[in-house]
Amino acid sequence: MPAADVLNLLIAALLLAGLYAAMSVGMTIIYGVMKIVNLAHAGFMMLGAYFVLELHERLGMDPLIGVLFAFPVFFLGGMLVYWLLVRWIPMSDQPTLASLLLMFGLWLVLQNIGYLVWGNSDRAILTARTFRTVHLGPILIPYIRLVVFAAAASSLAVLELALRKTWFGMSVRALMQNQQAGRIVGIHVERTARRTFGLGTAFAGAAGGLLAMLYSFSPDFGRPFLLRSFVIIVLGGLESFSGVAVGALILALVETLSILVLPAGYQPAIAFGLLVLALVVLPGGVATLFQKRQRLA
Amino acid sequence: MADILLQVENLDAAYGAVQVVWGVSLRVEQGKVVSLIGPNGAGKTTTLKVLAGLLPAKNGRICFRGQDVTNEASHKRVERKLSLIPEERQLWPRMTVEENLVMGAYPARLRPKARENLDRIYEMFPRLKERRGQAAGTLSGGEQQMCAIGRGLMADPMLLLLDEPSLGLAPMLVEEVFQYVRRIAAQGVTILLAGQNANYALQVSDYCYVMETGRIALEGPSAELVTNDHVRCAYLGATS
Repeated sequence: MPAADVLNLLIAALLLAGLYAAMSVGMTIIYGVMKIVNLAHAGFMMLGAYFVLELHERLGMDPLIGVLFAFPVFFLGGMLVYWLLVRWIPMSDQPTLASLLLMFGLWLVLQNIGYLVWGNSDRAILTARTFRTVHLGPILIPYIRLVVFAAAASSLAVLELALRKTWFGMSVRALMQNQQAGRIVGIHVERTARRTFGLGTAFAGAAGGLLAMLYSFSPDFGRPFLLRSFVIIVLGGLESFSGVAVGALILALVETLSILVLPAGYQPAIAFGLLVLALVVLPGGVATLFQKRQRLA
Repeated sequence: MADILLQVENLDAAYGAVQVVWGVSLRVEQGKVVSLIGPNGAGKTTTLKVLAGLLPAKNGRICFRGQDVTNEASHKRVERKLSLIPEERQLWPRMTVEENLVMGAYPARLRPKARENLDRIYEMFPRLKERRGQAAGTLSGGEQQMCAIGRGLMADPMLLLLDEPSLGLAPMLVEEVFQYVRRIAAQGVTILLAGQNANYALQVSDYCYVMETGRIALEGPSAELVTNDHVRCAYLGATS
């Protein structure tokens, strides 16, 4: 196999990883702060896709601008969902069945709202960008993937900066690492949780919009991506941001490179396979590999 | 008589169905160091947790600076200048020393003063300044305790609840930690100190409560308790 093809695949994997990371990070911060496995993440991604589609079709808005709009809209939507539903579940430092069921139920409701409003036919967002490619010598990159990667990477960079430099961001990181210590220094835990839920939902909506620029979608859109988010988060060790990046890269590489050895029809099995493998071999995430090495050294 | 900063009346506390604190009453006067000693499992830590708002009071009343705070959330108590330095430090291991300290000034009232307070803490603990960029989880036990104390002081407390500051530290460091307690008290911070190390606790405190199996068994000025036979035998290692 020619080197250029391998290079093409690696670049494709990297570009995909950026999107995957943006898609998973919302689930990670919600899990980290509240220990809630947000199954409704899939529903918010689906709504994000339709949100961008509607803005594009009705107002002729560029999908990228639509994604930008999705952030505040889904942020407020997430805060509303928190206020209406999530806050009634007692905060715990472990995932609870009640929260899992609530989020699963919410996902089903969102999905069915999707069917009610948009029907079950597949939709897609096509623009002038969709089929353009960029040639760099022997390397050929679909332009739209480059755009989506840039959007995902810059949103992650802004998030990272906010988590390090703002009081809210610091309180999110603190609660992820030790909730009781957060209460001790006077963090209003419920307020931080509410905003975190908003932020996680904002990232779900925006990621849905970005995904919609690449793939066709229906109200069941979020399902395969929810599974991928799971894999990424488990690989990443559940609550670290660098872990999310590493997990996203691993999944994207395995998925992309697998077309060399497996028929494309088997692709959905790859995420499942990785999930099982990660849970059995590395339940603490990829980071445990490095920690073990440190302990030996 | 000095102002009463903290007044606790008939406090009961429980973890679920298991009650561990029974009818505890105590008071802390402004500017004093009060100690709460007793064996492991006597309910000292639980009492401090209830005072800080981490655990609800089952019964009883907590008054701080004349206000009833019994049912108030923990963040509101920090705003009122009541801070806890918890047992086992409870730092954020993957945040830097400086981030841990700065978070001590999280309540809105304290944020404008965060920089100034941080400089003060660094002056008090030069070691922390050296290590400010390091993840708190990589500090030694003694340094972590300094960091926890520093984080508590970042909130400008009037009353500091200090839980087992010497836990798990080498004897030399225990001595150092208690010197810091003296210095903090000398700066005018009122302290309620819980600890198993009765020797040191009695030395630094003005007044002492002895807690046994969830109840206050004995109380009195520390200077008098030092000569009490029960205290001497049970806590100070006297043999007769």
